[in-house]
Amino acid sequence: MNNRLRVLRAERGWSQADLAAQLQVSRQSVNAIETGRFDPSLPLAFKLARLFSTSIEQIFTDEA
Amino acid sequence: MNLTLCNRQLSPLQRRSMQLFGANLGLTAALSLFAHDFFKDAHPSAPWLYVAAMVPTLPVIGIVTTVARYLACETDEFIRMVVVQSLLWGLGITFVADTWLGGLYAYPGVFRMIPMLNIDLFCVASMVALRIQLWRNR
Repeated sequence: MNNRLRVLRAERGWSQADLAAQLQVSRQSVNAIETGRFDPSLPLAFKLARLFSTSIEQIFTDEA
Repeated sequence: MNLTLCNRQLSPLQRRSMQLFGANLGLTAALSLFAHDFFKDAHPSAPWLYVAAMVPTLPVIGIVTTVARYLACETDEFIRMVVVQSLLWGLGITFVADTWLGGLYAYPGVFRMIPMLNIDLFCVASMVALRIQLWRNR
């Protein structure tokens, strides 16, 4: 699954550690999601969407 | 169980789990070696044999409980996934080592690992796998 997390984060000037602190996860989690090595669960995806005031579909896109 | 397993990066839950895991691991190794020598030298009677053989399993139960409780309490789903993957790697490495040693045991004079130390091999292999996984996702 592709995502725009890195772009959205950069737009706000947040580091991976900043985003991780707001999501209450490890920085490695943010890094793994950004690089596409890990797909977050729905609760975490909703949390991301709320944090960036957008929808899940605006952050994550299907590869197909 | 964070990137470098460095104490300052661990959450209280991770630090407590690591301490319990390490203590149980050390206790398992010590009790396994003690029980091994006990069976070899003391030749206990049947009831004592069963009791003595049970003793090294107590810290194993401690290890399983510690890991189960850690996985149940860890809120970071990515770290949880990495820990589970590492445990599976540890299990796989233990099976491979056991199969390899099992084949070698057919030959006389080959070093024999105490089967009771399997849990220690599993734990060490899991820890190495965890470090590699976290390094890959640094």
